[in-house]
Amino acid sequence: MSTAPLTLDLSKSGPVPFGRIVTVEWRKMVDTKSGIWLMAITGGLLALVMALVVLIVGLNNGQVSARDLVQIFTFPVSILIPVFGILVVTSEWSQRNNLTTFTLEPHRLRVMGAKLVAVSALAVGTIALAFVLGALTNLLCGAVTGNPLVWDLDASQLAWTVVTQMAFFAMGYALACLLLNTPGAIALFYVVALVLPLVVWGPLYFIFDWAKDVLPWIDINTALSPLTTGANFAGEPVDVELINYVQGAWTLILWVGIPVTLGLWRILRAEVK
Amino acid sequence: MITVDRLTVSYGKFTAVDDISFTAQPGRVTGFLGPNGAGKSTTMRVMVGLTPATSGQVTIGGLRYHDIPNPGVHIGSLLDASAQHAGRTGREILTIGAQTMGLPKKRVDEMIELVGLTDSESARRLRNYSLGMRQRLGLAHALLGDPSVLILDEPANGLDPAGIRWMRGLLKGYADRGGTVLLSSHLLHEVEQIADEMILIGHGKIVARGDKATLLAGANSTAVAMVTSLDNLTLGNALTAAGHGVEPAGTGLKVLATPEQVGRIALASGVVLTDLRAGGAGLEDLFLELTSATAREAVPGMAPPAPIPGGIPA
Repeated sequence: MSTAPLTLDLSKSGPVPFGRIVTVEWRKMVDTKSGIWLMAITGGLLALVMALVVLIVGLNNGQVSARDLVQIFTFPVSILIPVFGILVVTSEWSQRNNLTTFTLEPHRLRVMGAKLVAVSALAVGTIALAFVLGALTNLLCGAVTGNPLVWDLDASQLAWTVVTQMAFFAMGYALACLLLNTPGAIALFYVVALVLPLVVWGPLYFIFDWAKDVLPWIDINTALSPLTTGANFAGEPVDVELINYVQGAWTLILWVGIPVTLGLWRILRAEVK
Repeated sequence: MITVDRLTVSYGKFTAVDDISFTAQPGRVTGFLGPNGAGKSTTMRVMVGLTPATSGQVTIGGLRYHDIPNPGVHIGSLLDASAQHAGRTGREILTIGAQTMGLPKKRVDEMIELVGLTDSESARRLRNYSLGMRQRLGLAHALLGDPSVLILDEPANGLDPAGIRWMRGLLKGYADRGGTVLLSSHLLHEVEQIADEMILIGHGKIVARGDKATLLAGANSTAVAMVTSLDNLTLGNALTAAGHGVEPAGTGLKVLATPEQVGRIALASGVVLTDLRAGGAGLEDLFLELTSATAREAVPGMAPPAPIPGGIPA
């Protein structure tokens, strides 16, 4: 047929603003039962940790410092927050609603960016909550035991703790982009973040001298430890040098930069069905 | 409005869509027909940018889908009614869509009402929806942005007869107001009543196109007779011996011959006929004929499909 294709009335639409996609992605994190449960569990776990610490310190008339509390409270955070980062990506594929998502915004990188912004806000919020609860715990312990409060944290330590948490969280997001599969990404994340450090890197580090030089190039924790705590993986104080920053940056490239690049490349090219 | 231009989609050596071209015009309902796996869904996914074309392209209103700003308010699509988060309520799914497109919330209520979902149904989670309810919800989602183009993949799937009739009315009215509707189906009778033009596709290639009358005119060039007799076996053998294609059809036979030819052969072989009429060359038969070489179940005893002359070239 020779009729010229009629045009769309583009005057009634501008591009979807990025902020609107972020708002929508935020909503999608909290509007399902699984999202609500994950948040409830994280909050519940933090509250449980708080109660246990106060109970133990109170019973033993013990002493805790802010530094201990940061270690205690970041543990549940570091376990659960990356799951948010994984689910925000993989649930679109497992539930197949990416069909709709990428139809309403065909520029897939914008959607993936909006997801990252939304879920990062959630991660930062959770870390902040953990700090607030940690500080409250310190106050409560002081009130229960009558011991003097110890606030032995400086800003740099706090900042590096946030960086480490965000690094693991970003690794979750990156591995999710790479695998696009919930169980696979969660399993791989825990292997890299928990199992390998405990089962493989730990023993290697303490048995072989070469491992002390090699592991900081492989494991995020080992690389960031001097920057966060001023001590190496074994707990020995070290002077922070340029190489520690290089190692920290490299492990982030290895576990975040490379998988996220490969993953986004795949997402951009893949057929959505 | 929708222009498919020499589109090919290959997966390795397998070619799902093989160099097809057609257009879907505003103010008309275009039916896109073919058996399972013919390439309908793949073509539709290319239209909305979900599947990359191997070669060729699809434009809508002269633009590639990626270049259309806020595409949801121009093009409503329903590709798979079940491809939504099972844990979200119907209303929430529509709200997310409306929010992405920047539409007011009342649009969600309007669409829920339009597709006939009740308030309590819209508050249920998608996993508890029947297929028919999912289709209604998907249609509501496609219509949210008041688009001028609708792309619907098997929208009647799972709808009850009343639902199918309702949808026909809806789409007809939509096209009458100037909208472009492209809908696919593997069930011909669903489409033949509303489609102004039909594109028949088999094995990734367009095998026929045109409006109902044109297609039927083409199909009538092959004579078909429906015959029932007291001894179908003997009659069938005689017809086959005479070189006519025969297949069982209900209690009788369907023969690729004129009623006169069948009558003469029956007379010669002494079989009593109880029914003989010019063959039900409905679109259904045409459809099966055209796609039988490519469908999973070839029609036994039928001659290979002849190309249909007189189709409207694109």
